[in-house]
Amino acid sequence: MLTKNEDPPRGPSICFEMVGLSLSNITILQDVSFTVKAGDMHCLIGPNGGGKTSLILSLLGQMPHTGRIEINWTGGTTIGYVPQVLDFDRTLPVTVNNFMTMICQNMPAFIRTRKRYKDIINNALRLVSMDTKGERRLGKLSGGEMQRVLFAQALIPFPDLLILDEPGAGIDSVGSRVIEEIILVLKKQKVTMVWINHDLKQVKQMADAVTCIHKQVLFSGTPDEVLTTERVFQAFGTTSTGP
Amino acid sequence: MPVVQRLAESGWLPESLKYAFVFNSLVAALILGPVLGGIGTLVVTKRLAFFSQAIGNAALTGVAIGIILGEPYTSPYVSLFSFCIIFGMAMVFTKNRTKMTTDTLIAVFLCISLAIGACILLYVTAKVNVHVLDNVLFGSILTVNELDLNVLFVISFICIFCGLGFYNRMVLSSFNPNLARVRGIKVIFLDYLFILMVTIITVASVKIIGAILVEALLVIPAASARNLSRSMRGFFFYSATFSTLSCVIGIVVPMELEIPVPSGGAIILVAAFFFAVTTAIMWLKRAYPALGKI
Repeated sequence: MLTKNEDPPRGPSICFEMVGLSLSNITILQDVSFTVKAGDMHCLIGPNGGGKTSLILSLLGQMPHTGRIEINWTGGTTIGYVPQVLDFDRTLPVTVNNFMTMICQNMPAFIRTRKRYKDIINNALRLVSMDTKGERRLGKLSGGEMQRVLFAQALIPFPDLLILDEPGAGIDSVGSRVIEEIILVLKKQKVTMVWINHDLKQVKQMADAVTCIHKQVLFSGTPDEVLTTERVFQAFGTTSTGP
Repeated sequence: MPVVQRLAESGWLPESLKYAFVFNSLVAALILGPVLGGIGTLVVTKRLAFFSQAIGNAALTGVAIGIILGEPYTSPYVSLFSFCIIFGMAMVFTKNRTKMTTDTLIAVFLCISLAIGACILLYVTAKVNVHVLDNVLFGSILTVNELDLNVLFVISFICIFCGLGFYNRMVLSSFNPNLARVRGIKVIFLDYLFILMVTIITVASVKIIGAILVEALLVIPAASARNLSRSMRGFFFYSATFSTLSCVIGIVVPMELEIPVPSGGAIILVAAFFFAVTTAIMWLKRAYPALGKI
């Protein structure tokens, strides 16, 4: 009899094999190979412009990459994706609830939110402590609040693979804590997560594995093994422009 | 139709409704208003106002081509639809395959289309009275006939059907195409579909509002609605309402007061009036936040 902890992971394992990507003759990724284990929380770190977001978009099948990316699904195949930003006119009268409604249903959000989605949306927003701000305009949210809303949408429907592209700045500590809590819940459910994270302390505390990308894989392994001061300095130091 | 005429003759409805063209243009206004206002919210959300202007200009060229090809100058629909659809699709096609910013690309297309139009118009004016073109450019309710109404019915039905069915997905694709794709939305397909919608509704509005001014009705009511609304519901319904009122008032008032202006011009001026008023309301709300709570 399996106990809860021995349940097979619901998330897939992912295998990157010699992944490369060039856009208009500029090499963005080269020979990227590593494996994300099923049910792992796998962080991607690396300097800005190092190709992390491109790698994630390749994983989502939205980039003309070379090499092989294999997702071995074990159960469901739902992907949740948290993008960095939404690109919209900030004066548009679109509320948080409007946005969540657009995510859930095909009936235009300006007509109404279907009954069966109201609770789902509310629950997702409650998880990120945004349920009281449903009538707020998207354009009036702070960077951290926006990030939480984007996180909430990735939870509908409940994902088997969660991909987070976190922006380098603009996340407040409250938002960061809220997201950490949910990540722990997802981790218990053995959802596979790939998380572009800029907070090395958070990576050290929470990640099962970490891969540093700067065009190539600089290092990959468990945080304890690979996150040495020397290596981190090497990875991020190479791009520093100051004297 | 006969019912309306009878009611008009017996004094229940305004006298001018006796005339078929008045009735036709009012029906057209009542269909066009909500459709243009509704699509307008998408045009504004997707930041494609300039795009629709280019299509309006293409309509002028389409008319010129139609007259050259021997179509009736009051309804050269085949040329209009063909040229504008090819033009719109070519623009999206190029947009998806170039790194040029959208505004540069649109400007290029707009100028090309105007240049073709200008060259052909020279030949056209030799064939027909140049004032015929005024009707196409700025709209004229006098020339609205059954054919125009039927075209408008069909096109509006297509636009309403596609617009309602894909509204959320079209907005999401513009917010973040990557997120939209993860959620199974066909972003490129919707890009084309939306431009197709804007193109055919522009062509269908040419008779009433005029090729040059359709774009205004796609943008101004939505912009006015944005001034007043806090959510998408208000945005959409205000926009549809402003647009419909602009169409109806713009047609009825000049007719009743016997002011000889093109219907398109009058309609847009009414829309502009709404814009001015809503902008003033917004300013007042900002200056005196207490007003916002009323």
